[in-house]
Amino acid sequence: MRIFVNNKPVTLLPGMTVKHALIKAELLEEIEAGKKVYDEWGNELGLDGELAEGVKLFVRTKEINKFTK
Amino acid sequence: MEFFKKFILFLIFLLIFVSNLTAETIELRILYINDFHGFANPYKPLGSEKLLGGVSHLAEMVKKLRNEKPSIFLAAGDMIQGDNWANLFEGKSVIELMNAMEFDVMVVGNHEFDFGLEVLKQRILEARFPILGANVEGLELLKPYIIKEISDIKIAIVGIVTEDTPVSTHPKNVKGLTFLSPEKTVEKYIKELKSQVNIIIVLSHIGHYADRKLAEKIKGINIIVGGHSHTKIEKPILINETIVVQAWEHGKALGVLDLTLMDGKITKFEGYLKEISPEKIDAKISVKAIVDKYNEMVDAVLSEKIGVAQTDFDGENVRKKETNLGNFIADIIKKTAKADIAIINGGGIRASIKKGDITVKDIYSVLPFNNYIVAIKLTGKQIKEALEHGVSAIEKGEGRFPQVSGIKFSYNRDNKPGFRIQEVFIGEKPLELDKEYSVATNDFLAAGGDGYKVFGEAIKASKDFVIIGGVMKGQKVIYSDSSRYLRDVVVEYIKNEKIINYTTEGRITEIKD
Repeated sequence: MRIFVNNKPVTLLPGMTVKHALIKAELLEEIEAGKKVYDEWGNELGLDGELAEGVKLFVRTKEINKFTK
Repeated sequence: MEFFKKFILFLIFLLIFVSNLTAETIELRILYINDFHGFANPYKPLGSEKLLGGVSHLAEMVKKLRNEKPSIFLAAGDMIQGDNWANLFEGKSVIELMNAMEFDVMVVGNHEFDFGLEVLKQRILEARFPILGANVEGLELLKPYIIKEISDIKIAIVGIVTEDTPVSTHPKNVKGLTFLSPEKTVEKYIKELKSQVNIIIVLSHIGHYADRKLAEKIKGINIIVGGHSHTKIEKPILINETIVVQAWEHGKALGVLDLTLMDGKITKFEGYLKEISPEKIDAKISVKAIVDKYNEMVDAVLSEKIGVAQTDFDGENVRKKETNLGNFIADIIKKTAKADIAIINGGGIRASIKKGDITVKDIYSVLPFNNYIVAIKLTGKQIKEALEHGVSAIEKGEGRFPQVSGIKFSYNRDNKPGFRIQEVFIGEKPLELDKEYSVATNDFLAAGGDGYKVFGEAIKASKDFVIIGGVMKGQKVIYSDSSRYLRDVVVEYIKNEKIINYTTEGRITEIKD
């Protein structure tokens, strides 16, 4: 399964998750430091989230909490 | 004639006007969670100092929101497996909780199969709500859909799970089952249901990416309540005429989708995620009693004696040298994957085991991470590279130092990193650089953790994953079982062996100049 983290390709086993993608991209430490991982539409993802072929992930600074109520 | 035309038009306008006046406006609320994974207790997510989740707090919020308007409460899969609170009871604790919270319906997720089919059947029978799986053939207890009637509105809920389930749990857990195309399954049930109901909801455990494609391709779905990708969709998304939602993971958010209907059709929707945090919501209702009961049972299970250690097992020096605990765990991994050798990172072993009784908690302290076993084919050259990497930072005591099984090697720390490995033997034979060997490890290293790049290179070269003999295999991948954590494999091994005694035996030898 090939996905993209911050636009760089990462190859993973089927069944591997967002966490594995970040390990592979050497970005898990950035999550520990407070950054968040988002999909290509700007939705935050949990680290155990399952992936699919071609998914695009972006690690960046946490946005303002958007919970509305 | 002109007068007659005007009169007819007037009557038509009058009819529309009167029918709008008399059309009944109905409000409905859809509450939803997904990927709960048994996280009953609040926790601080990685990188956050804030406690989130806590199912007793979630239950309190559900109760409050349900009281405000007619509601249904949905679970979009992966509910019963994950945290110790669920795993130690094979998901029974979660079903008890869901019964108390009066869920209306749930779709089966891929991880619902992780405890095996017999356990899943038992969980389905214990549930006081229907569990769906329209695209699963071979498990009669799963229903394809249900029809709920609320305030005279008929709602069909069709449940689908990822077609990749056989490669995201151990294939033995889904033996005899067929996972059909979610897309074709939904199409089939829309045809069957559209004339019978006002609203069609797809309760989906196929991931947000696939949900979007479903909404783009298939007409007639009013709402997709999703799971699997743990996506935090803070506001409902409209794709064509389908509303798509998902509520993150672990009960850290409750999804709320409010609908307004006129003449049985959705005319307005508004949705949001309600953050679940112990700071915001008091937990007072009976769900807390269930959480506390199982918390006590978790402690009891973790304190259970599973065997006896006839010697101390060294988890202190696993980043510096071969230890008997490293050998013991590496041997179990190699044996489980039926591999030629095993290489694990010493940093994955976090505690020692004292001579005497061994409890489940001891093993969970030794192996606290949710790692599982993977085995990959590497060439002798790649194995040597992996070992070079493993000893490249021994001076710093980094977690990459290897613990091994089926392999013996020597190294010289006085040499530069990359030139430290001296002799390597697989079994009794010298390592052949061009020969392929099967190498068992954990998913962390397989993903390139602790800088082990060779596993990643092998995965990259591996294509065409298939299931052979009940196990997922690829060109280079010979074993991957994400349904059982390594620590549980070790617990099971000790339960079977009862008495364990291990020594170091010269698997890793340091040579000095």
